[in-house]
Amino acid sequence: MKSEELKNQEYKYGFTTEIENFKAPKGLSEKTIRFISEVKKEPKWMLDWRLKAFNRLKVLKEPNWQKPKYPKINYQDLYYYSAPKSMKEKPKSLDEVDPKLIETYNKLGIPLNEQKRLSGVAVDAVFDSVSVATTFKGELDKKGIIFCPISEAIQKHPDLVKKYLGSVIPLSDHYFATLNSAVFTDGSFVYIPPNTRCPMELSTYFRINASETGQFERTLIIADKGSYVSYLEGCTAPMRDENQLHAANVELVALDDAEIKYSTVQNWYPGDKDGIGGIYNFVTKRGACRGRNSKISWTQVETGSAITWKYPSCILQGDNSVGEFYSIAITNNHQKADTGTKMIHLGKNTKSKIISKGISAGQADNTYRGLVDIGAKAKNSRNYTQCDSLLMGNKCGAHTVPYIRNKNSSSTIEHEATTSKINEDQLFYCNQRGLNQEEAVSLIVNGFCKEVLQQLPMEFAVEAQKLVSISLEGSVG
Amino acid sequence: MEQLFNIDFKRMNFSNDKEVADRKKNFELFLKGGLPNKKNENWKFSDLNSIISKNFKSITNNDEYEFEEKIELIHDFDHNKVILVNGSLRSYDLHFEEKGKVKIETLKSLEGFHHQSKNNLDYLNKALSIGGFNLEVQQNYKCKKPIMIYNYFTANLNNKIINNSNKIKVSQNSELTLIEYNIGKKSKFIKNTFEQINIYKGAVFKNIILQKAKCNGYFYKNISCRQDYNSSYQNFILSSGLKFNKIEIDIILEKEKSSCHILSGLNLSKEEHQEIKTQINHMAPNCKSYQKIKNVLEGDSKGVYQGKIFVKDIAQKTDAYQLSKALILNDQAEFNAKPELEIYADDVKCSHGSSSGSIDDEAIHYLMTRGIELRAAKKLLIKGFLNEIFDNIPEQKIRTFLEKSIEVQIDEIR
Repeated sequence: MKSEELKNQEYKYGFTTEIENFKAPKGLSEKTIRFISEVKKEPKWMLDWRLKAFNRLKVLKEPNWQKPKYPKINYQDLYYYSAPKSMKEKPKSLDEVDPKLIETYNKLGIPLNEQKRLSGVAVDAVFDSVSVATTFKGELDKKGIIFCPISEAIQKHPDLVKKYLGSVIPLSDHYFATLNSAVFTDGSFVYIPPNTRCPMELSTYFRINASETGQFERTLIIADKGSYVSYLEGCTAPMRDENQLHAANVELVALDDAEIKYSTVQNWYPGDKDGIGGIYNFVTKRGACRGRNSKISWTQVETGSAITWKYPSCILQGDNSVGEFYSIAITNNHQKADTGTKMIHLGKNTKSKIISKGISAGQADNTYRGLVDIGAKAKNSRNYTQCDSLLMGNKCGAHTVPYIRNKNSSSTIEHEATTSKINEDQLFYCNQRGLNQEEAVSLIVNGFCKEVLQQLPMEFAVEAQKLVSISLEGSVG
Repeated sequence: MEQLFNIDFKRMNFSNDKEVADRKKNFELFLKGGLPNKKNENWKFSDLNSIISKNFKSITNNDEYEFEEKIELIHDFDHNKVILVNGSLRSYDLHFEEKGKVKIETLKSLEGFHHQSKNNLDYLNKALSIGGFNLEVQQNYKCKKPIMIYNYFTANLNNKIINNSNKIKVSQNSELTLIEYNIGKKSKFIKNTFEQINIYKGAVFKNIILQKAKCNGYFYKNISCRQDYNSSYQNFILSSGLKFNKIEIDIILEKEKSSCHILSGLNLSKEEHQEIKTQINHMAPNCKSYQKIKNVLEGDSKGVYQGKIFVKDIAQKTDAYQLSKALILNDQAEFNAKPELEIYADDVKCSHGSSSGSIDDEAIHYLMTRGIELRAAKKLLIKGFLNEIFDNIPEQKIRTFLEKSIEVQIDEIR
């Protein structure tokens, strides 16, 4: 039977790159943090900042309110820094990058080679703990746009980093965010100067390769007055039967009239069909609409990870600012997702929109958890939330946990949620026209997700659509 | 906590030593955990600990009281009368019903009392409960007239706490309409009630909770309800006028084709805080549940709705709907909602909606262009907003009575 065959189809990006690694000593300690800071040749203020976070971490407890439960993580049994040996001395240009790494990214379909100019996307590729290469640098430099690994930004643009790092996600936020602040290794830094429209999509591709390694990346995007940037993020990891931790922090700052569009296609290894292995994706993403008329838009397609646990949020501080959240979360087999958003309205005339689509199949659990909080001073604010869930089979679960708070009389909040299964009439109609069961389901699900998919930039939309179909293979029949 | 509660167990009448020990043990358990606060997810939006600590310096259990006042009875429709004074059963008159078909007595023992949702107030109730009533409707008997419970609170209850527990059994194929009519005086007191309801095969139970005029009461009511095959439960909550009120309803739809409706229309004004929390557990296929919660918020009032629909994997063909709407009339007022779905069955129809905002300016404009002045237009719209929940009450006389009592509240809106 076809669906049986499909059931056994493996994770496409599950290969491992045999490459010599240079690792920090195992375990979480002040020594590890000093080691990371030293390898990165960081200034003293950065080390102090990390140590401050580490001290704070000692008194924090891991949160336990979330729906997906996981076995206790032994933080002393992890490597906090792992880099390909060839990266110890940073290559000056792409020609110097280890061909094995280039090959890895080619396998993943990420064009690191600038000459190919396949998609006109500037890419920053992060392999375990270091950034491998950033493409299209020259063109971006001309416009004054800074797009580089955050470790480079710490050295070259300390004023900007000092000013904004930790300003949206403070050091003491919560356990995983603080852990990240203490041990973050690499990630992207983006600064768009005033009145500049970034001419191309900026993209980061994250890959966890080494085993027993946690990836702690940190991304900071600043859109200065009147600027615009669209940023894409993709992730994969090899298949392993251990659980690997990914605890990233992403901070966005939009000043007056600026707009940031942040899209994620998350396809970490989800574990096998019995739920063994896979990535724990515990990510903190938060954007601050600091300026008037600023806008932050999150789009995410979550198909991978054993456990996804993240809430990309918007703090709408500036008057007339706008926050958007579009999400598709697909869980199959034993995957668990607890995801959603927070929209915190502080400024006047702020608007937010949340569209969330959750799809569960197999024995998976999918939770939407969100907060809409309109403060007393956020006059004339508006929120619209729609979260729909689709269930396939009666072994999976779909849950909705929205928190809605309205503290003034001129603001309006609307919330809608539905849970249903694939309509049999629709399936029948598709079958009748010659589509088999799998194709029909894929078509209907893609239709169900359309509102979110159309928010993705072109380069990602095609990939995401395919991903939606692949993730559900073997779930019907 | 120990300073706040000055409880004298000697004041209470006990049957034996074991009971005294049990009660003291429960009281200790309560003191250990204290009143629920906002760290507890279920009390996130209503921090009872801070509300009580702010308004009470010392709390004692109820004294013996003299009761000679006459209770103002309702004459709008025929009904059986049950009179509760300060939470305990005083007298009743069931003359509309056949003899022996409906039984009511003081609840003597808390044995077999299972609360589906537990919190610390449960210990407090078990420690200090003064009983309450035990109501039973016999098989195949459909009550001819509604039973009205006059829940009267005397004037000398300042800084007192009343704990009582009620049991309601609606037997196979029987029918009952129960109206709880709360009448409070000026005194400031706390009431903590636990109620257990069993609705058997084919039975229909309608429950209306109504508050007469404003009262300085701080109420908590916990309802645990189990429903058998093809049974129906309808609850109408119209408890506006209390300083604090939290009604927690936990329903287990145990067998197929059972249905439950919870409808609420609240009109909260200055310094009032009310929360309705519902948990509907769909444990069998083909059940229906429907919740509609409407709040009108004035002054610095706070309205909360926490609703959860749980659907077990075998509960296919479930039809569950939840709607909460709030009209916020003042910038100091606040509405919080947490409409939750937890679903494990795929062939279901579950949805929820929640909205909050102010009165539609266009609707007001429309009415004003037709010569209705602003205040009247507002009232008309509020009335329309709240009256929607009465659609499920077929008895015209009861409906008129409820509509009238809501109108009195709306008239107070400026």
